[in-house]
This record gives sequence, structure tokens and C-alpha cells, in this order.
Amino acid sequence: MAQITIVDPVTRIEGHMKVQVTIDTVGGKQQVTDAQCTGTQFRGFEKILAGRDTKDAPYVTQRICGVCPVSHATAASIALEHAAGVTVPTNARILRNLVLGANFIQSHILHFYLLAALDYITPPASAPWTPTWNVDLMRSSSMSQIVTNFVTAVTMRREAHEMAAIFAGRMPGLSGIQAGGFTAKPTSSMISAFTGYLNTLINFINNNYVPDAQLLSNTYSDYHSIGKGPGNLIAYGVFDLDDTANPAKLLKRGVVYNTAPTSVVTLSTANITEMVTNSWYDNSTNNLNPTKGTTITVDPATKTTAYSWLKAPRYKNLPCEAGPLARMWVNGSYRTGISVMDRHMARALETQKVADAMLGWLSSLKVGASEYTPVTAPFSKAGEGLTEAPRGALGHWLTTAASTTLAPNGTTAIGNYQIITPTCWNASPKDTNGVRGPIEQALIGTPVSVAAQPVEVLRVVHSFDPCMSCAVHVMRPDGKPVTVINAQPEF
Amino acid sequence: MKVTRRDFFSYCTGAAATLGLASTLAPLEKALAASSGPPVIWIKGASCTGCTVSLANRISSTAPVDLADLLIHTIDLVYHPVLMGAAGSLAVQTLQNAAAGKFILAVEGGIPTLYNGATCTIYSQNGVDVTALAAVQQLAPKAAAVLSIGTCASFGGMGAAAPNPTAIKSLSAATGVNTINVPGCPPHPDWIVWTIAQLLAGVTPALDSNRRPTTLYGQTIHSQCSRRDSNWATSLASTGLCNGNLGCKGRQTHADCPTRQWNNDVNWCVGTVTSNGNGTDSLCQGCTEPGFPDKYAPLFSTLGATPASDHKVVDHTTCMTCHTSGRPD
Repeated sequence: MAQITIVDPVTRIEGHMKVQVTIDTVGGKQQVTDAQCTGTQFRGFEKILAGRDTKDAPYVTQRICGVCPVSHATAASIALEHAAGVTVPTNARILRNLVLGANFIQSHILHFYLLAALDYITPPASAPWTPTWNVDLMRSSSMSQIVTNFVTAVTMRREAHEMAAIFAGRMPGLSGIQAGGFTAKPTSSMISAFTGYLNTLINFINNNYVPDAQLLSNTYSDYHSIGKGPGNLIAYGVFDLDDTANPAKLLKRGVVYNTAPTSVVTLSTANITEMVTNSWYDNSTNNLNPTKGTTITVDPATKTTAYSWLKAPRYKNLPCEAGPLARMWVNGSYRTGISVMDRHMARALETQKVADAMLGWLSSLKVGASEYTPVTAPFSKAGEGLTEAPRGALGHWLTTAASTTLAPNGTTAIGNYQIITPTCWNASPKDTNGVRGPIEQALIGTPVSVAAQPVEVLRVVHSFDPCMSCAVHVMRPDGKPVTVINAQPEF
Repeated sequence: MKVTRRDFFSYCTGAAATLGLASTLAPLEKALAASSGPPVIWIKGASCTGCTVSLANRISSTAPVDLADLLIHTIDLVYHPVLMGAAGSLAVQTLQNAAAGKFILAVEGGIPTLYNGATCTIYSQNGVDVTALAAVQQLAPKAAAVLSIGTCASFGGMGAAAPNPTAIKSLSAATGVNTINVPGCPPHPDWIVWTIAQLLAGVTPALDSNRRPTTLYGQTIHSQCSRRDSNWATSLASTGLCNGNLGCKGRQTHADCPTRQWNNDVNWCVGTVTSNGNGTDSLCQGCTEPGFPDKYAPLFSTLGATPASDHKVVDHTTCMTCHTSGRPD
């Protein structure tokens, strides 16, 4: 018999989000039969950016996310450089790769141990980790090694940020990445300090993180067939390896369709649109390419058919999964499967791949070389900045305009700014055609043993590493709550 | 988990010694003898989680030495949506239990008021979405102390930048409750830990007119900057030169970044050529000040002429004092 649990908030996710799940028994097995993802936070960065000095974009956009500020600063810088028709010097490209790579390592270790692992292990016996749901945890005693590494991981992710700050200034909230290059000039002692950190981290990744992910993957092997989603994968690619206008990348750009999982299709951003039928935005803005996109909110009370502050990005009308698995699959580096555990494995192996590559990039840095030339994009230009955040494909699109009060004295202002974050791809609501987003699709069919404590739902959601806090509402098939288990008292 | 008196006292002693505050030790010792400190409830409003990520970068030679030590031995952080194990009703029950007694409220993020706060809902209660606005209005009046963590909670911050699309207010403006502000975008982990430690011990730190602890925010960046009397830089990436003419906001920004340094002393925004040679050579963005970012937009605009008293420009190409002492230009 279906029952209702309201689980809100789902924790250990950055930001604010809610997932509403219908649980029913099908074929004798209790499972998720419907799901809705809701982004419950809107701050309006696109509106804040309009009219500002173009050079402010890398500073402002990093404040979208304190977990992946490097990716936003990078995307904004690339978009401005694209609008100005310039590329950055070799040293700047390498420094950006190193700082971005350091933040990938930081974010992936944070995600595995501090955010996701608590769905599988018995945590340290103190707040904030305890209390927790005690359902299907610690299937094997060997998993104690993950508990042991939990505290070490706190140190490792901190050190990854210290490594980034050597060049970036501070983390998070860095100052080193600017349109036109990178402000720090590497010295031999900076390179040496960075190398020391990197070797420590590579040691942890090789001897702890990857083995722990493998252990989890083996112990919870049923999660290799749970949480697939649409099977369409999108990667903008990241870590430029040369200074040309279309550089080779450590992790390549491309799209893979569920219908042909071994063939990688060339990505064209002209095929991206954002649908708002089920989002709290004006319907006049539906199905626009981000170069033409606009952001007009409506009061949720007046658009009751909608259920999210996220728009629904689609590629040729298809929902696509973004993230480490999409990147590694498109790159041909991991094609074992698409599931909860495949996401964890791809993320761990990507961490290893990026860290190893960083060692090589360090050795090609030129000591003391200048790598920053301020960029001022001309009026009436358009720019596109594609990169990857640790949790998936990130795109910034902008136009430039004449000066304003926030960009006086003949400086170039931002005209329109549109951002599509990776979690917008993954946690998107239904589109205009009624097609669910990737996390929504991945949740359907997920077995649930205890409906009041649906740890399985958390595992699927966490495998995408969404950049938001989630709330999970578990509803009856008819959508009406009949009982509320663990109702929260007033306070 | 309660405050371990030994660890906590050790931390306070170290912090006090570092900050030259030996006179504060006696009341701290007395407070610790009487109380192990109330639990801390950490609420996230409209935020980017950068304050939490910064807190996780805590590292010190004195307890709490890092995030794990802080959480295990120093503070009873009963509710934190990013770090806690519990989800859903178990999480909210934990919050409710703590809110029934004496507690310290820490809020990260601004408080949106557009559509009655519907642009940021943070948990649900009896099946109804609870907005950040409603949650802090319930909790703040009952808290033993209310901390605004970061510039958004302290003053509105980036989310409240023009045209303030979601009508974000600071925590104090949204609740009418006086807050202790720990601004920064993000704040330094030491600033958060130091302030919470004071409150756990029952000590209210001295505050400036913007309700920031004067111990941490009493001086401007510029007045402590090693580049203060250096030549003017004409472009970023000019090692060791003053970026005041390029848009550095250090002259009006209150914080101890130049002396404290960030990320285990490896660097800071402007960048100092430190003993380990690091230097980013960029701008102070003014992130601890009310009105950030609009007060300083565009971020590369200058603050106007620097008073002579604020900057004794030394032309290193001619200054024989520096040359003879071996100081690099």
C-alpha cells in the first residue's frame, strides 16, 4: 500500500531543491513510479549581470556557486574573450587548467566522502553526521576503510583548495582568473609548492579514493542497474591542451544519444533550448536558445502548473545527463554503464586522470612569464563560454552593450547574460513535451525498502552531485497526501 | 557532542595570544567552567554555500585545528543542511529539538522577500514548504545569539545587487533582530570559528558600527598591506606593486587578510610576495563591506585619489634606501 513521507530537506547537496516521488508496489516490488524535481531557489544572477561592466562577470558569476567558482570565472572569461576575439597566452591557459583541476579534485573528494558516502556508511557518532537514517548501511565490514578515510578526506579537500590558492589568490572566491588571462606569475617556489600538494593528493586518490569507490561499487553492485536516466550524455569538454581557437581537450566535447551509445556526435550549441512550461518563468520565453534567452519570473502562486525555478534545457529536444560520467563516456575513457555506481566510478577515475595530467602541465609552466592582458570586448558583440564544472557542462552566453550607470566612462557593459548550469541539465523539470529531466527519469523504478526512510532515493539523487539542497516529497499515486509520517512539530 | 573544555580552552588561549588579547582569558575561563556551550543551528538562505566551503578550509595550529576537529570536539553543530547526515523529517526534528532550548543561530545567505519569500524554500513542515524568510523569523528571536555568516546574511551581498531580483534583505533587516556580522565573500574560516568560539563561551565581542567584531575587522586592508608604500601598478600581474589605481578596494575594506592570509597562509586576493614566493597580484574586491558589490561597481573602478597620508609613494627606481637595502623593485 502506498504511503506518504515528506522528506524535506534532503541534505548533503549544495543549494536548495526538492524531489517529489510517488512510491507504489509494482510486480511485488515497492518502487518509485513517478518523480518531480524542484529547484527551490532563484536569485536572478542573469538580471544582476545585465548592465554591469563586462570585466565584472568573472567576479560576479563565481558567486553563483561556492563549490565551483573556478568554473564560473572560467566560463565568464572565455565568453568575454570570445566576444573580443582573443585567446589567452600559454601560461594563462595552463594556470587556469591547474586551478580548475585542483577544484575538480576538491569537489570530487568532498562529494564522495562528505556528501554521498553517508548514504552507505555508519557515520562518525557526533553531530552533524549523527543522527541519520539507518537503512541498508555497511553491507560489508570491509567498508570500515571508507569510514576511516572520511576524516582524511576532510584534510585532502582542504589541501586541494590550498593548492589552487597558490595561483588563484584564495579559495573559494578567487581573484586570479580574469578575462584576458591569469594575474599570477608563477615562480619556481609556487610551482614547487603546488607539486608537493599534488603528489600528496595523487597518493590519496590512487591509494584511497579510487579503491574506496571500487569497494562501494562492488558492495552495492545492485546499484549498477539502478538510476540510469535518459541515457543521453552531454559534455562541453574541458582542459584545453593547445592555444588554437578550437583546442584539443583532455576531456573532449560531444554528445552521445541513448540510441547509439558508442558513437559520439559533434556538439552544436545551436541545438540547445530552454523550456519553461513547468518552470516559474513567463511562457513567452519558452524554448529559446541561450543566445536569445531571457529570464522573466512569475509568482509561483500564479503559475500553479509549474513546479521549479529551474528551466529545462534540452539538446534537440532531448534531456541529457551532464557530469563526470558524461565526460568520461564521451571521451571514451569509461563506458561500463550508466547507473548510480557508474557515476561514482567515473567520478573517481576522472579525478585520477585529471590529477595525473596536472603533473605534466606543471612541468610546462614558464617561470615568471606574463600572461595577463586586460580584455575589453567591443560593443554589440556576442560571446559564448563553454567549460565544465566538477558536476557537469557549464555554459555562459552574453552580449555586450554601451555603457550604463554600473559600467560608466565608456566601458563596455553586459547586454544580456544567460547561464545554463550542469544541475539545470540534470535536475530539470518536465519540458514542454512532458518529458522528464534526467534525475526524474533516473528515480523511476528505483526500489525503496522503507518508504518513510527512502535512502535509495537519496543515493540516486546524490550520484548526480547536484548543486542544490533537495527536498523529497513522497506522494501517493493519486498525488494526495493521506498520512504524514514523522510530521514536524511547530517550533 | 559537547565542547571539550580542554580543547576549547586551548583554542581560546592560542587565539588570544595570537591576537594579543590576554585580558580576555579570565572571563573565558570562567565561562568555560560554567557551560559547555549551546548547540549551533546553521540555516542556509539564498546562498552559494561558499561560506560553508570556506569554513571547511579551517586549519590552525591551535584547536580546533580543522573542520573535523571543530565538529567533533568544539561545537555541537546539530543542523547544517550541507554537512548533516540526517535528511527530511529527522533533520527537521533535530532542528526543532535544538530550537526548544538555548541555541546559537548561524545563517548563511540573504533572505529573499519577493513573492513572500517563495524564491527560497528550505524545508517543509507538515507538508508545507517553509521559506527561508519564515524560518529565520521564527528562529532568530529565540536564539541566544544570532550570527550572520558572510556578506549576504550580513548586508544582502551579491544576491541583493541591483536590481535585487528577489528583494533580498539582510538577516537583521528580515527579522528585526540584532545580529553579529561575520562578512566576507566568503568569510575567512578563522573569522567564523573565532566568533562562534566567543559566543560559545558567553562572550560578546566588541563590534563596529556595522556589527562586525573589531578584533577581526578593525583595520583596513590597505593599512596592513605590504604593498602600501610601493609604487603604483599600471596593470595587474605587477609583482609587489600597489593596485590602488587599478581598482583595489583595500583602502575602504575592513578585514585582516594581508596579515592573516588565506588557505593555510598560501596567498590572498591581492597577493603578497611571501616567504614561499606566492603572489596573485590582483584586487581586493571590498567583499566585507556593506553595499558590496554595487558600492564598488565596476569592480575595476578606482576609489579616487589616495590621500598622501594613506600612501607614501616610493619611487623604487630612484630610492636609494631600497636599492641599498636590496629590496626588489
